[in-house]
Amino acid sequence: MLLQLNNIFKWVQQGGQRVFLLKDINLQVEEGEFISVMGPSGSGKSTLLNVIGMLDDFDEGEYEFLDEPVHQLKEKHRANLYKQYIGFVFQAYHLIDELTVYENLEMPLLYKKHSGSERKAMVADMLDRFNIVGKKDLFPTQLSGGQQQLVGVARALISKPKLILADEPTGNLNSAQGEEIMTLFKALNDEGVTIIQVTHSEKNAEYGKRIVNLLDGRMV
Amino acid sequence: MSTLFLKIATRYLLKNKLYSFINIVGLAIGIASFILIMLYVNYENSYDKFEGSENVHRVYMDYLEGGEWVPGDANAYIVSGPALKQEFPEIQDFVRLRRVKGVILLHNNTVFDKNTGALADPSYFNVFDRTLNKGDLSTALNEPYSIVLTSYLAQKIFGNEDPMGKTIQIAADGNTPFTVTGILDSTGPNTHIKNDFLVSFKTFYTWPIFERDWEYTWNQNEYFTYLKLDGNADVASLNEKIMAYEPEGLKNERHHLEPIEDIHLNSNKPYEAEANGNANSIRLLAIIAFITILLSWMNYVNLSTSKSLERAKEIGVRKVVGARRPQLILQSLIESGLLNFIAIVLAIGAAYVLLPVFNRFVGLDLKLNSTQIKGLLPFFVFMLLGATLSAFYPAFVLSKYKSITVLKGKLQTSTKGLNLRRGLIIGQFLTTITLLTGAFIANKQIRFLQDRPIGADLNHLVTLNGQVLNRDRDSLLKRDFSTLMNELKKSPYVDNVTLSQTYPGDDFTNLNSSFGITFPNGKTDDKRIWYNYTVQPDYFDLMGMEFIAGEGFPQTAQEWSHNIVINEKMASFIEVTDLQGMIGKTIKFWDQDWTVTGIVKDYHHFGLKTPIEPMIITHNKAISNVLVKLDKRTASLASMTQALEQLNKIWHQVFPESTFGYTFLDQNFQKQYVEDRKFAKAFQIFTILAILIASMGLFGLTSYTCIQRRKEIGIRKVNGATITQILALLNKDFVTWVALAFIAAVPLSWYAMNKWLEGFAYKTEMSWWIFGLAGLTALLIALLTVSWQSFRAAVANPVDALRDE
Repeated sequence: MLLQLNNIFKWVQQGGQRVFLLKDINLQVEEGEFISVMGPSGSGKSTLLNVIGMLDDFDEGEYEFLDEPVHQLKEKHRANLYKQYIGFVFQAYHLIDELTVYENLEMPLLYKKHSGSERKAMVADMLDRFNIVGKKDLFPTQLSGGQQQLVGVARALISKPKLILADEPTGNLNSAQGEEIMTLFKALNDEGVTIIQVTHSEKNAEYGKRIVNLLDGRMV
Repeated sequence: MSTLFLKIATRYLLKNKLYSFINIVGLAIGIASFILIMLYVNYENSYDKFEGSENVHRVYMDYLEGGEWVPGDANAYIVSGPALKQEFPEIQDFVRLRRVKGVILLHNNTVFDKNTGALADPSYFNVFDRTLNKGDLSTALNEPYSIVLTSYLAQKIFGNEDPMGKTIQIAADGNTPFTVTGILDSTGPNTHIKNDFLVSFKTFYTWPIFERDWEYTWNQNEYFTYLKLDGNADVASLNEKIMAYEPEGLKNERHHLEPIEDIHLNSNKPYEAEANGNANSIRLLAIIAFITILLSWMNYVNLSTSKSLERAKEIGVRKVVGARRPQLILQSLIESGLLNFIAIVLAIGAAYVLLPVFNRFVGLDLKLNSTQIKGLLPFFVFMLLGATLSAFYPAFVLSKYKSITVLKGKLQTSTKGLNLRRGLIIGQFLTTITLLTGAFIANKQIRFLQDRPIGADLNHLVTLNGQVLNRDRDSLLKRDFSTLMNELKKSPYVDNVTLSQTYPGDDFTNLNSSFGITFPNGKTDDKRIWYNYTVQPDYFDLMGMEFIAGEGFPQTAQEWSHNIVINEKMASFIEVTDLQGMIGKTIKFWDQDWTVTGIVKDYHHFGLKTPIEPMIITHNKAISNVLVKLDKRTASLASMTQALEQLNKIWHQVFPESTFGYTFLDQNFQKQYVEDRKFAKAFQIFTILAILIASMGLFGLTSYTCIQRRKEIGIRKVNGATITQILALLNKDFVTWVALAFIAAVPLSWYAMNKWLEGFAYKTEMSWWIFGLAGLTALLIALLTVSWQSFRAAVANPVDALRDE
């Protein structure tokens, strides 16, 4: 088992009242799964993804990742955990505009203990794999949306994570570009990478092996 | 519309308290510093400015030294003024002032001591454009034994009585009576030559205190002489003609003119009327004033443009509902105006309140009265201009935002704007480091002046400089001084006593200057100037002076001899290399033969601003100073007070009718650096303020960059960056900026401070570590300022920054 959420609650205080963002979420994810999280706006999809990605706290419940109790871990330990095992892909790509494609890919490696030559090899590997060698010296603004997202996925993969979390990865792309990314995800999944994606599109959800539906913070 | 804008502006300022506070306080500090410094600068520039002052020039003497004419003496000869006026038609009038210092005035047997006055020609009022509160300008200084008092002194002596026509005595050589013929307003213009009273010049020829000087020749050179020139006169060519003018009886000297307006800041000749200011220091301070106010405007621009990011949404909404650009600009300007107005009001209030503190700290007596404010008026125009300009930039930036992008939350800040702000910050660091270096060097120089051994031990040395009233004849007085010395020696507090004409740190005035000397090898030099004073044999021992050859004077029964001691500089002046062989040799000057008994190691007679001069110390009984070396055991304040009380008692036993005064020699020596210390302190204060302002600006920019790089920080954190790594990333830029600024600041501050140090004959080293220390201090201040906000940005949850809306 990769991760397990038990009775997860998350809320905010608003005007003296608790507004629940996540309500009693129970979810088990096995290695090699491809899950699509669906639901209307405000249903808590992104929040759930952030909780799984350990970017956000929750208020109640238990979360085990590779048998480590995340809810009991110290911040530093938790950071190490997601640094090592989780890669993120965003709707708006979130590449750093001031860095080239090459530097964007290299960036996560700078925060892990890799030597210069190791980094070079790993980045070259990724550029090769995604066929973007020719673009390595370009800046994000010089790329199309699809290409930017390609770089975003490559960046998420570069440190060989077990889990990819993708928040509407095709939301800013046209249908052809979107399909390309989804095919890529499918291929990655076939190689054994676990993927959890948030999506609005039924079609994209179909790429997943399992669909989780959310409404008002509850799994339905 | 405008009232609405004003309302919004007020609410906005109140809502953003930290921002408003930083902005207003930053501006207010800048403006207040500017006002204070400019008051000081204006005061220093205000010396000798009066109606027609541009046509008034002082005559000074140039001496021939090594084939060149060098300024040698601030005084001219008694005959200089009349002779020049006769020779050159451009000269309308002249006035001579012969100063008398430390004078005691007597009225109804009450003593008023420590007055300084001058003999003055009747033309005084014409040349200096002065009027009298009471008395007749045309006659006040005509008759012998007429005296004109300043209103302040008159009030002190006569209270509310009318002093006109009353008699007062000057207690010197027989209490000569003088008639008060005029009252001069003491709140007259600021001048380098301050007098409490004026005595008619005609008194000179019969007044016993000048008995030895009663001659009207090219021998009497103790006269400050001022010329009033024709308004159309060509000063440069007149100066050349005067330089070429060689009256009979004047050898190796020339007359030279200098504008009276330049004396206070630009003249530092021997025998000045008072210690003058330093033009370089004042210029530096003025530069600092402009820098501080510029810094605060830069800050304002910086802060308000950073802040405008947060207001982008408001601007977007306004544009969508129909606001046009001029209206937005107007609104922004009204806000700036309000902010600047508050800052200026605060600044003026602060300057007013802080002026006494500033005065006390720096040692000045500046006033914020109407004339001073009038002097500041051009600067107020400058301030308004600056404030308006600094308000326009943010207004334009703010109004330029496109409403759609702003409302979509996709505001991209232009790199151009960021570059401008970076430039401003680097500029601020540049000035900060330069100022810091300057302050460090000024401080180091002051400490150097204080700590450098002067070649004489002035500790525990007191000079008694009371004045004996009703004194009859010098010979009798001299006998009394012997009695005094014997009595003093008996005191347990006293180590030793001696008499001398002057001492290190004393005024130039008590020193004689001469030309003409025949060396032991028969060679003669009658061009270069040398100085001399007389002492008693114990003097060298009391001063702890070191002999490099020979020794001091042997005690003789008649208290004088033809023995002399010369200093090292004098030895090199008379081209002696074999110092030991010099002892017992004869030197000729003043038409007499003198035997050298010793060569004293060079000591600083004038303080470190002036180079060491050739000096001959002769053996005679001078009674101007009774030097008392107090016992080392009187170190505590209490025992010191007791010692001084006893000195006072002994003094009055010997001279029942007298005033008593004393001066500690070490303190007196330090007084020579008063102006420099003032400068260093002012420099310090304003450096601190400038740094404060710069940090505020930096604070503003950091908050801006942190907002700007929020997304980037978020991405990096999600990809595994730790807080420390983010902090390093954010602070790296600032370190680079400080480094850049440092590189530019080093040559700049080196140049400026080198210029300042030129005013000292002896100067401290500008060691490399000072620059390093200044750079490090600036870096530390920068890091402290930015770290709080960088930290906040680094620990923020990346989810908030990366939310895709």
